[in-house]
Amino acid sequence: MNERYSRQILFPGIGKEGQAKISSKHVLIIGAGALGSGSSEILARAGVGKITIIDRDYVEASNLQRQQLYTEEDVVEKLPKAAAAEKRLRAINSDVEVRAIIGDATPELLEELAAGVDVMIDATDNFETRMAMNDVAQKYNLPWIYGACVGSFGMTFSIIPGKTPCLNCLLRAIPLQGMTCDTGGIISPTVQMVIAHQTAEALKMLAEDWEAVRTSFVSFDLWRNQYTSLKMSKAKFAGCLSCGEERTYPYLDHENMTKTTVLCGRDTVQIRPSAAGKISLERLAGQLSSLGYAVKGNPYLLSVEMEAERMVIFQDGRALIHGTKDLTHAKSIYQRILG
Amino acid sequence: MNKVLFFAHLRDAVGSEFLSLDASGKTVAELKADLAATYELPRMETVMTAINEEFASNDEVIGDGDEIAFIPPVSGG
Repeated sequence: MNERYSRQILFPGIGKEGQAKISSKHVLIIGAGALGSGSSEILARAGVGKITIIDRDYVEASNLQRQQLYTEEDVVEKLPKAAAAEKRLRAINSDVEVRAIIGDATPELLEELAAGVDVMIDATDNFETRMAMNDVAQKYNLPWIYGACVGSFGMTFSIIPGKTPCLNCLLRAIPLQGMTCDTGGIISPTVQMVIAHQTAEALKMLAEDWEAVRTSFVSFDLWRNQYTSLKMSKAKFAGCLSCGEERTYPYLDHENMTKTTVLCGRDTVQIRPSAAGKISLERLAGQLSSLGYAVKGNPYLLSVEMEAERMVIFQDGRALIHGTKDLTHAKSIYQRILG
Repeated sequence: MNKVLFFAHLRDAVGSEFLSLDASGKTVAELKADLAATYELPRMETVMTAINEEFASNDEVIGDGDEIAFIPPVSGG
């Protein structure tokens, strides 16, 4: 199968040695939505030794516009994304060992999965999981690549423990009501641009060309023709609880996680966000109704009709998801809307 | 004077790609608070800031002529 990777081997940054390294490495991809399907396809084609990919959702019609691994048949069968991704990745490259996990990327699971991994790729849709990934990365000394997008706007940053600032240095707290693809829409080229940056960084790390790893924080807007590269040399925060000297890895702590509970005797799940704070119900109502959701509300709460469920969101970020008892599914719906 | 650039949904909220205003002597946090009040910008405390294309913390003081950019972290993926 030498011919298979010949063009990548010809590329001076990789060469024979780099390819041998790539084929002995293990990548963990968190999320198999738009970013995860693109990254996993590129890395499977590049001949990465092992790919583990985890996702909690199933394939829906609204995914097909940008989530490149999935087909109409997957939608009809309501296949879990991880299962559909596994099937497709194996068909693309049988050399690659693919492990797919259908489930929620909880801090406990992330810690378990981190063993033996060389690089982690962020393909999640929420900051809670990203902050947990960030803590796991610091705790187990794992490089990871942050990536996110909404509309025509995207951003990415390579995080190497002990060398670069971490995500907690930059954000200091989980942003409540971050823009998501379900509230701000998304075009496929934005996804591809983030994926291109993330996988190029991953290939550098896998081929161990550490000098080549980008140190700047990239953000761009493909519709408004902006591309910004921020210098990050001053961004490391000495008191950071994830990577500072007195680190506690706060996002591996159950106390700081979104709480989900099935309400007794009701087909309803209650979601309590990790960070309390006031959200703008009016703004959210405007976004959701412009996307075609039926929305009703008053100053205290907002009720949104979803495909099969109804979500009631309160001003403090708490929500009730009516029509399900599935905690993981309910959390997924919540984070799709509130980030 | 300072040029203040806005990205993603902040640009829509402000209604312009950039503003020219005098922010010298203010900290990043103070400028964020001013803009949040004037334009009803949500959750400015977690918006990332760059001064002259370099990451800046909330307590950094803005100098005359500095170019400020506000980049909201997004979570889609």
